[in-house]
Amino acid sequence: MPYIPNTEDDRRAMLEAIGAESIDELFDMIPRQFRLDRPLDLPAALGELALRDHIRQLAERNTAASTATCFLGGGSYDHFIPAIVDFVAARSEFYTSYTPYQAEASQGTLTALFEYQTMITRLTGMDVSNASLYDGAGAAAEAVLMAIGATGRAKRVVTASSVHPEYRQVLATYLANLDMQLQTVDTPGGVLAPEALDAAVDEQTACVLVQHPNFFGCLEEVEALAAAAHAKGALLIVAFDPVSLGVLKRPGDYGADIAVAEGQALGCPLSYGGPYLGILACREKFVRRMPGRLAGETVDRRGRRCWVLTLQTREQHIRREKATSNICTNQGLMALRATVYLAAMGPHGLRSTAELCLKKARYAADRWTAGGLLEAAFPAPTFKEFVLRAPRGRVDQLLEAAAGERIMAGSPLECWYPELADCVLMAVTEKRTKAEIDRMAELIRSVLG
Amino acid sequence: MRNEQAADLLFAQSRPGCRAVRMPECDVPAEAVESLLPRSALAERPPDLPELTEPDVVRHFVNLSAQNMSVDGNFYPLGSCTMKYNPKRNEALASVEGLAGLHPYQRSETIQGMLALLHALQEMLAEIAGLDAVSLQPAAGAHGEMTALFVAAAFLRDTGQHRDVVLIPDGAHGTNPASAAMAGFRTLEVKSSAAGLVDLGDLAAKLDARTAVFMITNPNTLGLFDRQIGQIAEMVHAAGGLVYLDGANMNAILGIARPGDFGADLMHFNPHKTFSGPHGGGGPGAGPIAVAGKLAPYLPAPLVAKRGDCYTLDFDRPKSIGRVRSFFGNTGVLVRTYCYLRTHGAEGLRRVAENAVLNANYLLSRVKDCLPVPHGDRCMHEFVASAQRLKAERGVTAMDVAKRLLDYGFHAPTVYFPLIVREALMIEPTETEAKATLDSFAAALQRIVAEDAGLLHDAPHTTAVCRPDEVHAARQPILKWTAPAR
Repeated sequence: MPYIPNTEDDRRAMLEAIGAESIDELFDMIPRQFRLDRPLDLPAALGELALRDHIRQLAERNTAASTATCFLGGGSYDHFIPAIVDFVAARSEFYTSYTPYQAEASQGTLTALFEYQTMITRLTGMDVSNASLYDGAGAAAEAVLMAIGATGRAKRVVTASSVHPEYRQVLATYLANLDMQLQTVDTPGGVLAPEALDAAVDEQTACVLVQHPNFFGCLEEVEALAAAAHAKGALLIVAFDPVSLGVLKRPGDYGADIAVAEGQALGCPLSYGGPYLGILACREKFVRRMPGRLAGETVDRRGRRCWVLTLQTREQHIRREKATSNICTNQGLMALRATVYLAAMGPHGLRSTAELCLKKARYAADRWTAGGLLEAAFPAPTFKEFVLRAPRGRVDQLLEAAAGERIMAGSPLECWYPELADCVLMAVTEKRTKAEIDRMAELIRSVLG
Repeated sequence: MRNEQAADLLFAQSRPGCRAVRMPECDVPAEAVESLLPRSALAERPPDLPELTEPDVVRHFVNLSAQNMSVDGNFYPLGSCTMKYNPKRNEALASVEGLAGLHPYQRSETIQGMLALLHALQEMLAEIAGLDAVSLQPAAGAHGEMTALFVAAAFLRDTGQHRDVVLIPDGAHGTNPASAAMAGFRTLEVKSSAAGLVDLGDLAAKLDARTAVFMITNPNTLGLFDRQIGQIAEMVHAAGGLVYLDGANMNAILGIARPGDFGADLMHFNPHKTFSGPHGGGGPGAGPIAVAGKLAPYLPAPLVAKRGDCYTLDFDRPKSIGRVRSFFGNTGVLVRTYCYLRTHGAEGLRRVAENAVLNANYLLSRVKDCLPVPHGDRCMHEFVASAQRLKAERGVTAMDVAKRLLDYGFHAPTVYFPLIVREALMIEPTETEAKATLDSFAAALQRIVAEDAGLLHDAPHTTAVCRPDEVHAARQPILKWTAPAR
């Protein structure tokens, strides 16, 4: 076996030291009736060469986004990842270590997590960040649970249909057993109208979950939404796009109480949906209600600055059923990737990235709607993605034709929004070129024209 | 060898004008940002991030990495965590562009290879579990526990049963009660017997018409297989409850016994433990769950389905609890799991369990004379030693021993868990360590228990920091860097 170093001689010597006749004897604790009397029915073992061939064959039956032109978005984006992100994340001192419980043996991880937390607070304008959750949807659900605890309002939560449908599905699943009412305000204009929110929020509402830019790519009127939530004493939770903060105002600057995000854009590969990174940051007064790990600064016995996992009395391994969350293993390595990514990009790199996304997306939207074959579904300003409508209902035909040209043109919205059956969500990152956008414009003309 | 450059945080190293990345010029005609978006939405200045060059960033993180112990560098016998070797082929194969470069919303005809892989993984995990259906969606073990309890709650609701209590042994991982609470259940603790197994009398007394689920870790956190499992499952089922298996310790029984065969109705796997996914300094993991047929309709959607020669995502699951995560799940971790299972096959997995158990028993036999192991001379994949005598006689604690081990180049065992053993040191060697390593670890422990108590209280002596003040960290939390006042 490739990863078992003991030889037959070793095994014999070990059994002798133990005082056992055979390895089988060591399993005497397991009643015979429950011992499997046959080999597991699994495919035959493969050596490294054969496994490599096998995986390559499977991979060849897929089309990588990098070998096509990718306008897919919806929470996962084909952004640029500097080589040093992969380099650092491949250091086995980082990726083969455990959660840093033993601080002296884990200062590297703890320091990086402290830097991650600092970066996220600076990016968001929030006071505190934890050390990562599973994904954006999970972070949104955890934020809602935090808000319920913080406000003591265990009845109602309000969100909007402009929030990512999968985030709302995850939230609904988390709330299903807690006897909470989840109200989703409609967003027929593509954004949440502050008056509609005002009407939906009452004094029993724990929090409002919005997304900005929202699932349709549109900018919400976040300041007015914050005011509407706060007027009734509800907390505002904002799901943001970390790359958008290269140009957009920070959640902390427009009144968010808890800011959450899918952090995939910060240096995580597409990887068919994961592993990604759940970001959660909040105001100082909620820190003891946060889920997940927190790295904190302290000093050691000799007075040297160092880092530890802290405020652990919030967590499951100490508090058990009274913990703020059940989370244990989180997405540490992805938080490290995000830290390296943000360190590499710096203020100007992130700003340029956001500007490129914005400008190229705007150029694409203009080009693709120029002939009148497609039209913008919503009037609100957008950041890096947007919804287009094919007036004659030929979305499927367009996506099919694009696939034939190795263009991943966008996501149809019908499965989540039956009323948007003639619409497609399209994203344009800094990696897309003018030539690719123009080629898509040509395709639109030839398919729909 | 002291490296002063390792000391500063990135923020303190920032120098205006430094750049690691320069983005290209915009290749499309465009107006200024201010005319593309409302001014009220815009930030006034670029994000407040450090300005660094590429060599700055690389040196910083390489120096940080040197302050970690890791499986590749050190024996890491952290009990309950199964810190086994992380095969390099799996890392390489999971990053193949045709797998790592797939967008989660690609059309299914462009991801047939990935879906085939995930479908095969569902089937392999069901076979290992001895259960009928698998969801790969949960992102970590605790997430899997919670998802399975959501499934149980949905099943009970759907079948009109009002059961709201989850029973959990006192030796369980903290995630068990925390997951139960998140699924809306009340929890009741079931005592362990003196032998470290479930106290059947206490279990019987607590089982009633409100019992929804009994969560059991088997092998348990003492490293013992609870031989009463058949009887336990019968009792729980007779009371109308479901048996949940916490699969954290599956490494001990791969191919030897299957949870479904010994009475479990639902369980989770920890691929980042059992199937060698690297732990990443705190994730990512994954938490696939396996369930019995009657619970399958409630699994999260989508599952991967095979229709003829074609693989699809099956969303048409009307009784599903819904989603617990966006997109498919922690797919990259699942690809590594697949590679691990394909490398081993049935025979290989059995060898994994045999050698994990052999290594643990051997180490137990070498350690028990210097650190008593209260629950017997035999174990499965791990065992729990106690420093209680050492503490009583010489004032040396489990923590002192753990910290001193770092000086010998070994990562510490898990300490003070499970809660039912005083001064616990939970030791799990895994199958990927050699006898010689176990011998030197045992020799180190033998030396340590004889060392001067003062030396042990002040350990570790060779690491860059020693015994951080955790009380101070919690009392006045400093959770981010702030620029020193000028």
